Amino acid sequence: MAKHYAMAVVVAKCIGCQACTVACKFQNNVPEGQYRTKTPVVGPKGTFPNVSMYFEKQACQMCQNAPCVEVCPTKASHYNEAGVVLVDVDKCVGCKYCLTACPYDARFINKDTGAADKCTFCWEARVSKGQVPACVSTCVGGALVFGDEKDSNSEIAKLLSKNKGEVRKEEFGTRPSIYYIFEGVK
Amino acid sequence: MDITWGASASHEIAWGGMIAVYLFLAGIAAGAFLTAALTDLFGKNRPAKLIRAGAYIPPIAIVVGLLLLVFDLGRPLSFWKLIFNVNFSSVMSLGTFIISIFTAVALVYAYLIWAWPVAQARGIQITVAGVEAAAAREVPASGLQALRKPVAVVGSLLAFGTATYTGFLLSAVSTNTFWSVPFLGISGVPFLPFLFLVSAISTGLAATLIGAIDCSDLTLYKKVDIVLLAIEILLLIILYTSVSSAFFQGGLANLFWIGVVVIGLLLPLILAIYGVSKHKNLVVPVCGMVVVGGLALRYFVVYAGQMVR
Ligand code: SF4
Ligand code: SF4
Repeated sequence: MAKHYAMAVVVAKCIGCQACTVACKFQNNVPEGQYRTKTPVVGPKGTFPNVSMYFEKQACQMCQNAPCVEVCPTKASHYNEAGVVLVDVDKCVGCKYCLTACPYDARFINKDTGAADKCTFCWEARVSKGQVPACVSTCVGGALVFGDEKDSNSEIAKLLSKNKGEVRKEEFGTRPSIYYIFEGVK
Repeated sequence: MDITWGASASHEIAWGGMIAVYLFLAGIAAGAFLTAALTDLFGKNRPAKLIRAGAYIPPIAIVVGLLLLVFDLGRPLSFWKLIFNVNFSSVMSLGTFIISIFTAVALVYAYLIWAWPVAQARGIQITVAGVEAAAAREVPASGLQALRKPVAVVGSLLAFGTATYTGFLLSAVSTNTFWSVPFLGISGVPFLPFLFLVSAISTGLAATLIGAIDCSDLTLYKKVDIVLLAIEILLLIILYTSVSSAFFQGGLANLFWIGVVVIGLLLPLILAIYGVSKHKNLVVPVCGMVVVGGLALRYFVVYAGQMVR
């Protein structure tokens, strides 16, 4: 069976240290001022005794029904064999249609290449070689879990079977592959 | 920007003014083509000057628009890849073909219209000065001119396609609640193609009328213009009631109320009705405002859809 790579973010374990943000910039040589992943703070919200604050890692959600892939006029944006959404830089004309279509603001036009850019799950450099993405391997709090969702023995499948994973903006029907486990946070 | 403690990186607008102007110019081109071609095909008393203005505007407008589009690409020099890589589920990919063919047909039609008086003159052996009168009479088409009417028909279909495409381009973004708003809540029927089609015809007709300013009898066209303005007002009322009021607030409120509503619709509507009833020639102010309003409308729609998400 084909693999389906997914990531779980255990929000309660994230301390907002931005090690993932930096690791991504190292790994993927992302231009100054641009980010494939970032982890902004949400909150603080509410008043005592119900104050909450957490960090939310935001990057491409690796949608399985991806609006960016649907609108791309050149098929530069595509799914690979493991359900990872990628951009073929050579085919991309930089029309930005995908930027308007992505509801997660995950994409940007790379200042150096002029092509659409976003998180790739570190497909070429790491995941296709059996490693985990740079952000996952560096995560200080142990908040990021990555693996094949369809393999019931994988860490991520086990985690998601025990905990409720929520996806962002579910109403758009994009079927993201990034699950947020909010237990202990909100 | 402080991503460590804050607010995530500010949201950049993907499509800005260049795209708004491109959509506007594509609309003008389509509307002017329809004005010329339909007059050519069905007009009894064909004002040659009007047909000529309406035939010359489209190639210029669409070529300028396409240049803007190409410059707005992240990789302008790779624009040709749009033609060789097709994605049938992408409205932009389909639109690329509609617009390219329309551009070619518009050029051919402009050439035929340019060559038209010459053929007329030969056909009935009159001087160029008599062309306007001669145009009223039916002359058997000969040679290349036999293509003129078929080209007008095909071009009209493509113009219709181009004008609606500018709406579908935005309405196909299903994750954008403003752009993809359905027509009167009917799911599956997007609103924007209707609005942009009416605005395209209205602005294209207006631009053509400016080009045909000293034509004697344009009353019919002025009346059509009034009807189009009224339909557009109706459509904007529908839009206003279909989407969140947040879209009409903030920095875009002035653009909408002053640019789109007052300058683009209400003033020209009042002036046009006054002009027609009092037989005053108010073509330039009326049509000028319609054109400006059409541009404001594209800016408003393009930006509003990306400001509030
Ligand atoms: S998050 Fe955005 S860029 Fe990533 S797959 Fe979904 S729509 Fe595409
Ligand atoms: S910017 Fe590139 S990846 Fe995005 S829709 Fe255009 S061609 Fe496709």
